[in-house]
Amino acid sequence: MSASGATAPGGGDAGAHTLARFALSPARRRRDMLARGSILAATVIALVPLALIVYYLLRKGLSSWSVSFFTTDPTGNTFFGGSGIGGIKSAILGTIEIVALASAIAVPIGVCVAIWLVEYGRASWFAQTVRFFVDVLTGVPSIVFGLFVYIVLIVGTGSTYAGYKGSIALALLMLPIVIRSAEVVLVLVPSSLRESALALGAPRWRVIFSVVLPTAAPGMLTGVLLAVARAAGETAPLLFTAAATLNTTFDLGGFMNTLPVQIYKDVTSATTSVEHRAWGAALTLVLMVLLLNLIARLISRRSRLA
Amino acid sequence: MESASIPSGDRPALGRSPLTRSVLARLPDRALKYGLTALAALILALIVYFFIRLIGQARPAFAKEGIFGFIFGNDWNVNAEHFGALPLLVGTLVTSALALLIGVPVAVAAAVYATELCPARLRGALTLLVELLAAVPSVVYGLWGIFFLAPKLADAEQWVADRLSFIPFVGGGHATIPNYFITGLVLAIMILPIVSAIAREVMATVPADHKEAALGLGATRWEMIRMAVLPYCRSGIVGGAMLGLGRAIGETIAVTILIGDAPKLGHHLVEQGYSLAAVIANEFGEAQNVHRSALFAAGLVLFVLTLLVNGVARLLVVRAARSRGARGGRGAASGASVAAGGQAVAGTAVGA
Amino acid sequence: MIKNRTVALASCAALALGVAACGSSESSNTSSSKSSNDVSATISGAGSTFAAPVYEQWGSELKGSGLTLNYQPVGSGAGITSLESKTVDFGASDPPLKPADEATIAKNGSPAVQIPMFLGAITVSYNLPGVKAGLKLEGKTIADIYLGKVKTWNDPEIKALNPGVSLPSTAITVIHRSDSSGTTDGFTGFLSDVDPEWKSKVGEGKTVPWPLGTGAKGNPGVAAAVQQTTGAVGYVEQAYALEHNFTYASVKNASGKFVEPSLESTSAAAEGVTVPANLGIKISNPSAPGAYPITSQTFVVVNKDLCKAGTPGGESAAKGVVRFLEYGLGEGQSILSKADYAKLPSAILAKSKEALAGLQCNGKTLGS
Repeated sequence: MSASGATAPGGGDAGAHTLARFALSPARRRRDMLARGSILAATVIALVPLALIVYYLLRKGLSSWSVSFFTTDPTGNTFFGGSGIGGIKSAILGTIEIVALASAIAVPIGVCVAIWLVEYGRASWFAQTVRFFVDVLTGVPSIVFGLFVYIVLIVGTGSTYAGYKGSIALALLMLPIVIRSAEVVLVLVPSSLRESALALGAPRWRVIFSVVLPTAAPGMLTGVLLAVARAAGETAPLLFTAAATLNTTFDLGGFMNTLPVQIYKDVTSATTSVEHRAWGAALTLVLMVLLLNLIARLISRRSRLA
Repeated sequence: MESASIPSGDRPALGRSPLTRSVLARLPDRALKYGLTALAALILALIVYFFIRLIGQARPAFAKEGIFGFIFGNDWNVNAEHFGALPLLVGTLVTSALALLIGVPVAVAAAVYATELCPARLRGALTLLVELLAAVPSVVYGLWGIFFLAPKLADAEQWVADRLSFIPFVGGGHATIPNYFITGLVLAIMILPIVSAIAREVMATVPADHKEAALGLGATRWEMIRMAVLPYCRSGIVGGAMLGLGRAIGETIAVTILIGDAPKLGHHLVEQGYSLAAVIANEFGEAQNVHRSALFAAGLVLFVLTLLVNGVARLLVVRAARSRGARGGRGAASGASVAAGGQAVAGTAVGA
Repeated sequence: MIKNRTVALASCAALALGVAACGSSESSNTSSSKSSNDVSATISGAGSTFAAPVYEQWGSELKGSGLTLNYQPVGSGAGITSLESKTVDFGASDPPLKPADEATIAKNGSPAVQIPMFLGAITVSYNLPGVKAGLKLEGKTIADIYLGKVKTWNDPEIKALNPGVSLPSTAITVIHRSDSSGTTDGFTGFLSDVDPEWKSKVGEGKTVPWPLGTGAKGNPGVAAAVQQTTGAVGYVEQAYALEHNFTYASVKNASGKFVEPSLESTSAAAEGVTVPANLGIKISNPSAPGAYPITSQTFVVVNKDLCKAGTPGGESAAKGVVRFLEYGLGEGQSILSKADYAKLPSAILAKSKEALAGLQCNGKTLGS
């Protein structure tokens, strides 16, 4: 992946030196400098909002962090001293549970569909149709997935809100992202790899699972992590499906609290301490996703070296 | 494909070829093929069911306003039960276009920097930082935008609007704090990670010999990137941009906070407007009967919009791939077949 | 690699569970429910965002005695819809039920009962340095501001109401709610009552076609917008305005007095309001002398016979809802002033308790 980065500068420039003296006009060099400068500038611009947001979150949210912030549930008690307003434990656990279930649904299905698109469907009209509709699904607002689940699974069946219904809404949200990004990466696995494996007598399924997938895995991991990050931060699909409760629960069939919903509720509160808790929760959410990113990358790096 | 790839002359003379396999051994392949095909069909069926269900919910609104009346009517008046979605459609289009215009070049530049120009030690950190942008929940983007960014930029926006007042819509007008521009800007930031991540992954797979060939011929760094990296990655980048566009079109919570939610057409970029996704989020809780159906209809308009945009983008990419193939494409020996095969597949497969 | 990922996920989950297990137990509140009929149940409700903090507070007070409340602040309309589709045990709505809603709820097998719970006011907050709180405004002036007819703070209309106050010539920036909300409903309801021009041009409702102004999301959005712009005016819920020390206007009521939005004046607004048979009171331009005119009410809506109507939590939830409402209409009223909400006048409170007493489960009376 980084071969070109390591070898090109020294080798390329030195080797072409004799020719380059004649070929590298000042105009070209200027253009090169200009382009490189603009690219660097754009990269810095890309990072500025992040710095601003993280600083803003830290400024508003860090002071609400404490041990009890993470280990107690929100109490609903706003106006009396006593037990205080509580922390966000149920929201953290709920988010982990709901997003884990959503990922468990969306990632395997998404990767399998992507494999089918690249290996079997390819350019057939059927595959084109699937691709097209998956593309359209990426543009659906997150709230509509929640409404769809609301219509089908809540109003339709006459049952009530449940954590797993929120997971389904989130899985619907994640699916097109996973399929699309997995496909982009799978397509770029060189056919020579596939052909050599087949030439060695490996059956098709072996080629896919032992050659293609591992090669594409780091790239797919990026897409999956982005989808999970998106799902973890979405409020709208959960508003009409999972419904919130204040208490920690491990029952995905019942009401479940989540960080985005807790933030959404708290941030409009009239009580300053509750609003403050919202920012602490937002900071927590960002950090949780960051941690997930780090852990996943560490694992993939280690397994690649091995 | 398994045994047919070996030319008959190379098969060993004695006994059964170890390369031909029994029907039983081929079973996993069959199972995989049909299993995956069934799964893809199921997903397609699910998506179609999704649309049908939503069309069903939207029908009363279309019956009331007529399809054209709904999409192009310029009046969203809940009390009068009159639902014309043009201001919403314009808001969605303007903010998404702005998000793409600002976000994609910056994202691709960041990806180029990370893969080609960045010192190797910094690469991991840079990658992580850009992806960290994806970890921020949308509600936080909205709040940060309206409480922090929008007030800071309000004066600058007014200044630019006054300077550019000769351009219709883009210039002129009186800047409000929530407006189209700030929404587009924050959306650009939101789509940055996904476009950049996919662009980066795609750029990382450019074969080293392509790049080295260009450099060996005396190209500068930038020329190498322009000639060997970007064209190879074009469809992948477009794929990433489409995902980013999808996010921009469908973003709900951040947009409701930043766009001002005025159910009228803003006449200038720095004025407030509304968007299709925002109206659903704002009004669904209180909506009943025709109003609710109108909100579903707004969602349906969004699907059709994404459909059209994706269709057009796909056409453009296919046409570009075809013309490149006709011109002879890439010359590098080992890469030619891969590139041509990859491009042809990518052009139609990854498409828009 | 896939295996490693599974291990990683599993260890994350284990870590999380560990935190949950080792963390201190859920905070227990000092419960002071003096009633001996502590009900152990889980009840669910959905609806008004305005009333949410109070219901959650009551829920927190009752948790010690075994009652768990799960409340979704999804908006009054969605709350009623949830009750209609039996997704929750009770609904919460700010505006009284429309006849169509009453009919739909009754379809579940038992008539709808709406119980007034408490009151809240809507302040007209402004940002005008140099002008103290309590600027006198009347309904028509406010309507003219929001219609765009009064454009600056030193307009003759405002001057006439405030002799002796030096008003700057700053332009008025109008701020309104962008999301569908009961606060907008209350505010525009008042304007429609006092100004026929507003009523015909704009009307009332949770969302209206505002002639001008900037939209902001939620009370904090309006509050921030007002604070960020000199010369801005916006309507903000009383609890929010009081908590954050906003500068708000004194509004003229129907008997000609300029009244500040305080808890007393809010309660006074409900004095003398005609109470219809179904308790669907609607406070509009009250005439009591001490009344603050921009006031609204909030209800809890249930079926009269909860179990027969198929409440999702079953009989235990039905008992739980009754206990919850008992507490709310009894001891819970003492929380209201702390929370900056206003109590119902005793006459209406008595009627609410009456309605509560009539709730049943499969024919058996639950209330006491």
